[in-house]
Amino acid sequence: MAEQPKLSEELKKMEWEPLLPVEKKLISYSLILGTVLLGILVWVSYTFFPTGH
Amino acid sequence: MEEAKKGISEDWLAVWIGLFIFVVSLGAFAGTDILNWGVTTGVWTDISKALKPISAAWLGGFGSLLLTYVVLLVIMTIGAAALKADIKKFIIGFTVVFWISYFCWMLGSWANIAVTTAPDMKKFGIAWSLKLTAEAGFIIALLVGLFFGNFVPALGNWIKEAVRPELYIKTAIVILGGSLGLMAAEKLGLATAVMFRGLCAIVEAYLIYWALVYFIARKYFKFSREWAAPLASGISICGVSAAIATGGAIKARPVVPIMVSSLVVIFAVVELVILPFFAETFLWKEPMVAGAWMGLAVKTDGAAVAAGAVTEGLILGKNAAEGIMYSPEWIKNAAAVVKVFIDVFIGVWAFVLAIIWCSVIECKPGEKVRPGQIWDRFPKFVIGYVLTFLIILLVCLPASKALTAMGGKVGPLQKQIAAQETQLTALNKQIADEETQLGNLRVKEKKAIAALKKQIGDDKVAAASLADKIAKDKAELAPLNDLLKAPKATMAAARASTGEANVFRGIFFVMTFFTIGLVSNFKKLWEEGIGRLAAVYVISLFGFIIWIGLIISWIFFHGVKPPLAG
Repeated sequence: MAEQPKLSEELKKMEWEPLLPVEKKLISYSLILGTVLLGILVWVSYTFFPTGH
Repeated sequence: MEEAKKGISEDWLAVWIGLFIFVVSLGAFAGTDILNWGVTTGVWTDISKALKPISAAWLGGFGSLLLTYVVLLVIMTIGAAALKADIKKFIIGFTVVFWISYFCWMLGSWANIAVTTAPDMKKFGIAWSLKLTAEAGFIIALLVGLFFGNFVPALGNWIKEAVRPELYIKTAIVILGGSLGLMAAEKLGLATAVMFRGLCAIVEAYLIYWALVYFIARKYFKFSREWAAPLASGISICGVSAAIATGGAIKARPVVPIMVSSLVVIFAVVELVILPFFAETFLWKEPMVAGAWMGLAVKTDGAAVAAGAVTEGLILGKNAAEGIMYSPEWIKNAAAVVKVFIDVFIGVWAFVLAIIWCSVIECKPGEKVRPGQIWDRFPKFVIGYVLTFLIILLVCLPASKALTAMGGKVGPLQKQIAAQETQLTALNKQIADEETQLGNLRVKEKKAIAALKKQIGDDKVAAASLADKIAKDKAELAPLNDLLKAPKATMAAARASTGEANVFRGIFFVMTFFTIGLVSNFKKLWEEGIGRLAAVYVISLFGFIIWIGLIISWIFFHGVKPPLAG
């Protein structure tokens, strides 16, 4: 049976990769979309299903 | 993962076992309590009186416990065969898991641990109580599991075939769907708000938390994309399954999500032990906020729903001590709904990540993105949860609506009849008094006699008219009451059915707690290199996940209370 790799060794093997502009863009889009959708969902819930509130 | 290569998956097995118990419990609709032998544990001071069957009193407490064990053993062993597990080892393992878990549950129901109100303390003749409610049994099971898992690992190893917390909790969640269906039928508005909270949880977990955790892991902790993505999924979405799905989506080496998962499991236990007590202290006046918050903040299905159950016990207990008796199930279901909604999107998320990774970040040679992986990664137990929810909802909603609609007519009519009857009684008494008064008058008091006689005559006419009106109202009420009989019977059968199924759900819950403890190896925290992973977890969890989750839960549920019991 193969020995399980150690976490410390795996982390040492990890190479540094700079945060790409496309990653930054995706993170920003995700946060903006999330915030807008949350606002919409809260509004829909309060407006159309007020009995729960 | 391993079982998927062999027999059916634990997800599907949870669906079949949960549905089997649910379908058998539906016998209540045909007037047959097939599960009436299931064991229940009441709060006790004399342990010999702790156990009793649902309704088959002839079995006795221990008899029903033994029968419950035997039946569950048979069902679970058939399941183990479907999983292609080692049957002999499973039988031994399940036996150990069942009896230790049940013993913990019984211990948690000891009056000095569980009783929450002063009248109950008087009833049980005790001077003190930890006021932890009977759900303390769950915490005891967890602690006992943690003890064996960390100090007697040989036991966990010996019974590992039956140490399946995900199977137990998913089976419990399938059964829980029926309770949610009944609650939704009775309080559709509140149930809808709970479901909207679930939708918000999807947005929070996938679009906000994931992005933030990924950013922190990449920018400040210098993790590579291969590590940061599974870590972000493990911390922000759903622990183990999300980390593994993400690892698959971005073609990370299998070792990465496995290492991330082992950390997530340990932190989930820490959250499970801390957050419910935090919620009890600060959110006991906002039970629904607390329930939804548990579903979002605590990772892994088992720990999240378990945290919902403990939070419910603690908050209901604290409110009961203040004289407020809320209906059970709402807090627990708020946690479960939020968690299930998050789970449903894991497959979609893995698919989206695979597309993003392959198109704009890095595409490994020969990599293809298959839409089929959405279904592959779909948590199948959700199908069982939705089925039990829909069946009970569809059966009960018309009945509940009829009760509400006719209740609007029947209630005022009943009140009117009651008021008229009181009026009639008073009038009859007045007539009797007047007649006595008349008998006492002397013959020469002719004027007074005539006036009194007239008064008595008028009163008798009024009484006859009132009696006539009462008879008419009662005639109007009778057919309405007849119409109410069927919906009332349906709702009573649904309550009996979910009540019986919930007895088994409770057993699956407590086995979940014990086995979560068993698999949580805290020695991992001393492993070299874990600090960097743990730091991302701690910063993300305590830095924003629990607070954003709390704020959104607050926006949805502040001021919203579960219905009062009874």
